[in-house]
Amino acid sequence: MIWISSRWKILLMLAPALIFFSLFIVYPVLYSLGFSFTKFQGFGTPEFIGLDNYAALGADPFFWQSLQNTIVILVVSIALLVPASFALALLLRRKIAGGGALRALVFGPAIIAPILVGLIWVFILDPKIGLLNRVLGFMGVAPIQWIGGDTLTPYAVSLVFIWSSIGFAMTIFYAGLQQLPHDVMEASALDGASGWQQLRFVTIPMMKETFAIVTILMITNVFKIFELVFVLTGGGPVHRSETLVSYMYFVTFTNQQYGLGMAIAVVVTLLGAAVSIGYLALSRGRRTA
Amino acid sequence: MTSTSIDAELRPLSEVAQKPPRSTPGRRPRRTVAIVLGILAYLVTFLIVLPLFWIVLLSFQPSGNILGNPFSFTELTFDNYINAIGSLPLVQMYSNTIFIALVSVTVGAAISFMAAFALTRMIFRRRRLQSALRFYLLAGLAVPVYILLFPVYRLDLSLGVFGTYAALILPYIAVSIPFNTLLLTGFLREFPSEIEEAAIIDGAGLWRLCWSVVLPLMRPVIATVLIFNVVYVFNEFPFASILINNPDMSTISLAVSRFKGQYTVDYGAMMASATLVLLPQLIIYALFQRHVIAGMTVGAVKG
Repeated sequence: MIWISSRWKILLMLAPALIFFSLFIVYPVLYSLGFSFTKFQGFGTPEFIGLDNYAALGADPFFWQSLQNTIVILVVSIALLVPASFALALLLRRKIAGGGALRALVFGPAIIAPILVGLIWVFILDPKIGLLNRVLGFMGVAPIQWIGGDTLTPYAVSLVFIWSSIGFAMTIFYAGLQQLPHDVMEASALDGASGWQQLRFVTIPMMKETFAIVTILMITNVFKIFELVFVLTGGGPVHRSETLVSYMYFVTFTNQQYGLGMAIAVVVTLLGAAVSIGYLALSRGRRTA
Repeated sequence: MTSTSIDAELRPLSEVAQKPPRSTPGRRPRRTVAIVLGILAYLVTFLIVLPLFWIVLLSFQPSGNILGNPFSFTELTFDNYINAIGSLPLVQMYSNTIFIALVSVTVGAAISFMAAFALTRMIFRRRRLQSALRFYLLAGLAVPVYILLFPVYRLDLSLGVFGTYAALILPYIAVSIPFNTLLLTGFLREFPSEIEEAAIIDGAGLWRLCWSVVLPLMRPVIATVLIFNVVYVFNEFPFASILINNPDMSTISLAVSRFKGQYTVDYGAMMASATLVLLPQLIIYALFQRHVIAGMTVGAVKG
């Protein structure tokens, strides 16, 4: 293919993608990084203030609150979602009448826009009009402030996140289970391994790669949770249910403290990358050990 | 929802795994356990689908009942839908979204395909440069869109496209490039080049080679790319909320975000509106469900 590889032809093929990518992804990232060292309110010229924005974040209780909420959502979601979706994949892999339809139904929530997911769950979690408190009311339980209260919102957000992701995670596990070499499974069954032993010592070890993929995907998705908070509580009361990303949105676009907002954006990016890399390193290390 | 199973898509990979397990003496299938697990599967699925049913059920309730007695389904009404259709620019928000999706997904897939072809099939004088450029595009996978929101807003202003459809189309194209490059270069790398060599000997130029020879062979992975990109554009909210200031240009997500303010007391109309947005999406999903799931899985596993 040498003669179709003249320099200008290569350039012609690559140029559109490189231009779009550099202009709308790479340049903005550098721009945000630059802005995070300035004070800018939307008019005039940005004033360089060094690391002051980062120092301001350190002293900002709302920032710490949103960091804490994000960590709660991360821990609760991953701890429940990964095992639950794996168990669901095992369950739906069995020969059940209509199993294909069940798998399709479980996947359904994954294609619904997050903003619509949030809206749907308002009608379940809302303390006054929500389904959950109504059902609990029948059982004589006093209404619970699932969203908009002091403490429960991050847990409620986790619940909604799990709902919207479980079908997707289940499907990846399901695809992974389908690709397991059957002879290994059969051999272990012949050797007299019980269902549980087979799962514990054969299936799960062979699924390590899939577990890593699902976990990384879900970690990065947790760092993107924004619409759910936006619709469920709007971050309130007084920023108590904010996630890092929703707080960044508020600071940047509602409060128009662009420099400070970009500092949060930089922190979120670094944190997300660090958690993912840390997890990958950890799971790699465990595999070689 | 259709009853076609996603197995059909996954089966070729695992023909062997579909063989019925050999019944080993002494380990007879425990029927009760199988039945209990079967019921459990239905129960869990029901719980997962319940929130959607709940919205649809409530949307037929008179607004007063939603607040007072949501479990009485004695007086059902279409009033909410009449109110919702009266105040909801359904056609407009769908046509806005479809237009933006059509342009950004086509352009994004086309330029990603060209780049992927150059990065895997064309011969660079310096091989290092080729892999460096591929890595450059793939690095975009690690960038969360939230860091892009404000700079892209400023960029749209200075390019003079703010307030037009291009304000959204341009970033959507850019955001799709890293993922598309990942899938397309991954596919092309493992793909034999004999057919292309034959085509070149037969006198096909670069243009013919790309669009009439290679592209048709890549149909499965192109389908995945298109589905992934369309779902992204349909669900995207953060960019839309910042880059669209004209209500007439609202995309679906943006319009949905206004429901809460729009119907502050009329919960019935709010739920009818949500149902009206939800149903077309669910119907499309039901029709394409096999491809959506297969595409999402491939994307995730390769990603």
